[in-house]
Parts: sequence; structure tokens; C-alpha cells
Amino acid sequence: MTTFTPTHDVVAEAQAAGFFPPRHTVEITDARALADRVMRLTFRDPFIASHAKPAQFVNLFTHDDFMLMPRPFGVSEVEGDEVSVIFAVIGHGTEQLAQLKAGDTVDVLGPLGRGFNLKQDANYILVGGGLGVPPLICAAQRIASLAGSVATSVIGYRDERFAEDFVSRYTDRSWSITNAEGNVVDLLNQMEASGDLDVDGLKPVILSCGPLPMMKAVAAWAAKRGIPAQLSMEQRMGCGYGTCVLCTVDTVDGRLKVCSDGPVFTREQLGWGE
Amino acid sequence: MTVNTTANANDNHINIYEAHEWKHSTKVAGVTWKNPVGTASGTFQYAAVRRFYDVSQLGAVSTKGCSPVPWEGNPSPRTAEGPASNLNAVGLQNPGVDHYLEDDLPKLKKAGALVVANVAGHCDDDYMQVVAKLADSPADMLEINVSCPNVTHGGMSVGTDPVALAALMDKLRPMTDKPLIVKLTPNVTDITVPARAAVEHGADALSMINTLLGMRLDIRTGEPIIANKTGGVSGPAVLPVGIAAVYRTRTALPDIPIIGIGGIDSGEKALEYLYAGANAVEVGAAALFDPVAPLRIARELDDLLDARPELAAKLAAGQTWR
Repeated sequence: MTTFTPTHDVVAEAQAAGFFPPRHTVEITDARALADRVMRLTFRDPFIASHAKPAQFVNLFTHDDFMLMPRPFGVSEVEGDEVSVIFAVIGHGTEQLAQLKAGDTVDVLGPLGRGFNLKQDANYILVGGGLGVPPLICAAQRIASLAGSVATSVIGYRDERFAEDFVSRYTDRSWSITNAEGNVVDLLNQMEASGDLDVDGLKPVILSCGPLPMMKAVAAWAAKRGIPAQLSMEQRMGCGYGTCVLCTVDTVDGRLKVCSDGPVFTREQLGWGE
Repeated sequence: MTVNTTANANDNHINIYEAHEWKHSTKVAGVTWKNPVGTASGTFQYAAVRRFYDVSQLGAVSTKGCSPVPWEGNPSPRTAEGPASNLNAVGLQNPGVDHYLEDDLPKLKKAGALVVANVAGHCDDDYMQVVAKLADSPADMLEINVSCPNVTHGGMSVGTDPVALAALMDKLRPMTDKPLIVKLTPNVTDITVPARAAVEHGADALSMINTLLGMRLDIRTGEPIIANKTGGVSGPAVLPVGIAAVYRTRTALPDIPIIGIGGIDSGEKALEYLYAGANAVEVGAAALFDPVAPLRIARELDDLLDARPELAAKLAAGQTWR
């Protein structure tokens, strides 16, 4: 891996012609382990930083000609012109990305997909589990800048609370639970019992990302109470921008593409808990 | 790495967004392509690609397979990775030929693209219904998909059986004057057998290869990764298979126009297909690694052909290197 020396700005070329930037090379500015086999990578990308919305994702590419498929990760934070992602080291591709250090380069494409629909004067409950947490950090970051909106995080971890520092940095209230203690629905029930769901007279809206069984349980909980829910889905992906149709989810409107019709769908679209 | 259109990947940087006067055209079944590079059908959705580049700059766009009625395709997961390759089992999900005629096709023609409409079916009647509707459409060429490995009926089951393929072509040929391209599967012992059947029964051109049948298992569970269990392999790993298919078919059938497909991610690999005897090429999986790959490859090839005037002249005249 070489030190980053840009010679051609393909992002600028695309933008000058009115097109979305192609895959391009960026510099890693920070790389750190948050927990055992959980990595946070930060790279400098003014385009993605200025365009990314919470629950949008970026494709990262390995430097290995044997592993050409994009690795899609939800944007976890944007600071200035720097963008962060958090991922679990699962297979050979993420193992290789986990070797990257500040000063190395990585190829990216993005931001991709449709993010959460966020408004002013709203009361958001961010319900996440495991590696579904990063897009919620980004959501909390954005909500903090929306006048009159509040964010409460309700996060379930398997064991280590690896993202707690990042989540609580931006949320107004932060709750979390580990598998040994219970699950996020237990936390939601506790909030309801203690009258903490409404804030300043605002009814809650749920934003959720996490394992499928968790999101289905959260959608069912929300449906029972008539609470709106936006759910960010995960699926094995190909291109990430809607051309290959490899990442579908079954919805009431038929089989839709997670990458470009989503990744965010409402519980009504998914028909969950109805 | 060759799929890389990155900022510092190579010194011969091409700004693909600048206006370009194409220098080297080709001719496929009498239809002139402004350059020899098109998209392969499986990885082309206009709504997705139009954000990234002007598709009218390509030699042609082969659109996603279209069936008589909407198909929902296979359940997810539909994809897995292989060494230098992708496996897919979409199962030809598409909104149907009526939607294609109302939406994608007019938009593509308005954008100035040369359109190869890819035709899918589960049975001969399906193919006939789609061809009947496309016969009077603005599509420039039709590509008959008898090679998809991810559907239980039609697709590859037709393309691996020369008798069934001949019978299908006998039905389709009288239905249209548009050039008929038959897209062939590499999942046969000798690709020249179905190639000859297609040509003897009315094909104006052949495209090859569709994906190779493949499979990956998750060693944690011992089960297939893809819901359909098997999928089609594409990407740089299949390049030698596609080159051999084109070369052998060119040797067996000296006059039939051939569109080479399989593992093309650079102008150099496109050139290799042209030397193998192809009139043109289509780019598929490379668009999964970079959306603008087809246009970049077309530009690279346009420059590579400058130094090969004999090959360039043959292509422009509808001939091939071999």
C-alpha cells in the first residue's frame, strides 16, 4: 500500500459533467479497533461527507484482485470532510480492510441508497442491535442538528458496548442492554412503563437497524402502538447502486432492491407487525 | 489492478466525461455500433446507470432480460463471491415487456442509445410473446436469452439442447426483420453445436458467454450461500472461457457476427476478444466493481485500436480478425 498521491480527480470530472462520481481512491485518516474484531475506518472524501444521509452506505473495495465485490457499510459519522464506517471482521474481505492504516488508500463508491427520512420537531427513538448501530450514530449526529428534534438511543449489544461512546456523544438520552441482560424490546417496554416514550408532547418515531429478528420484533412492538418505524435493511449485495438486482427484500409492493429502493423501508412497506 | 478507475491507478488517465469523437466503429449483423463495446444485459438497468454516465456513448446497451409478464425472480440471498468472480441467481426478475415498452425503451432511445433488447422466457410461447411485442418497437436488435442458468424452465435448458434451440428459432425468425442475436451458454461440451443450430435456424449474430454454473457453500453451516443453491459465475475469472468460446465458434462459423462476453474489465481484454474473432464485446460484472467500467473500457479500446489499423478496418467493414 502506498501513500496517497492524487493525480486525477475523477470525482471533480464527474461532477463537472453533471454525473454521480464513479469509484475513486481516498486516503484513510484513522483506523482503530473498537472491540474484538470490530473496526472503525475513517477516510477523507469531501463528496461523500457533504452528501451522505443517515442510513446511506458506501461501497469499500479491497486491494485484492481475487476479492472484487464491493463491501457495503453504513456511514457511521461525518466530521468535516471525513467519513467513518464501523464493521465487523467476518471474512477475508473485511480482514483485509481491517489491515488498513492511516495514510493508506481505499477505493470507495457512494453515498448509496435512500436514508432515513428525518425532520425538525420530531422525537426519534433509535433502536439498534450489533453492527446495525453505525447508521444510527449517523442519524443521531444529524438529528442533533435539527431544530426541535430529539434522539433517544436504545441499543442492544451481544456483550461489549463497543459503540456507546459514539452513540451517546450525539443522543439526548442513551439506553443500552447486553444479551445477558435482555433485549431492546425490554428497554422499549421499560421506557413505556416509565412514561419516557413521548418527549415534550411529541409522539415517538422509531428508526431501527440491526439483526432481522430484532427489527421484526421492534416493528411488531411499534405496530401494536401505532408508532411509525423506519427500518434499515441489510442484504448480500452486488453493485450497490441498483443495476444488478442481487439484493432484494419482499415488500407489499413486491420484491424491491435493498440497495437503491432502500435500505430504509417503513414497517408498512415490509408488512411487519400489521 | 485493472478494474480500477481510480485517481492514481495508471498514468494513461482518460477523462471519460469529456466529449469524444469515436474513432473506431464496428458492424454487427449490418448494424453499425459507434464503438465495439456494449453492456451485457444482466447488469444493465437504465434507471441506475444513467446517474453515472451518458449511455449513448456506448456501442450498444443490452438491457435486462424481459419476459411477457413481470417476473419476481429468485428469493434472496442471490449472490456470493468467488475468486475474481461473482455468483448471481437473480432468476431474471423484471417488470415485463409492457413496462419495458412504456418506460425503459423510449427513455433509452430518447437518450440516443443503440438498444439491444434482451428476451427471456420460460417456454417457446413466452419468447414469442415478447418478440411479437418488440417486433415493431424502436429496439435496434433483439438478443434471445437461451442461456440463463438460474431459471428452471427456458433459459439454459433451451440453449444446451440444439434441437429445442432450432425449434425455438424456427418460431421466432419469421416474426421480425430485426437482427436476432442468440446469447449462448458455456455450460456445454462444445459451444459450436448450439451455435451452429442457432445460425442454421435464423440467428443473425451470436453473443457469448452467459454465466457459468457455480456454487459456494458457507463452511460454518455447510449449506449453500445462495437461496437458489446454484448461480451463474461471472467476472475476470471467466475470461479464458469466453475467449475460447469465441475462438472456437469463429473457427467453426467464419461468417457469423459474434459479440464476446465474459470477464472484460479493460480495453486490453476487450481487444483480446476482438483478436479471438469477435465483432464486438459486452461488459457485465465489471459494472459491479465500478459503474462507469463499460464506458472506460470503450475509451481504452478506442485508443488501443489506433495502433491496429488492420483490425480496426476489418471491424468497421463488418469483418473480424479471424
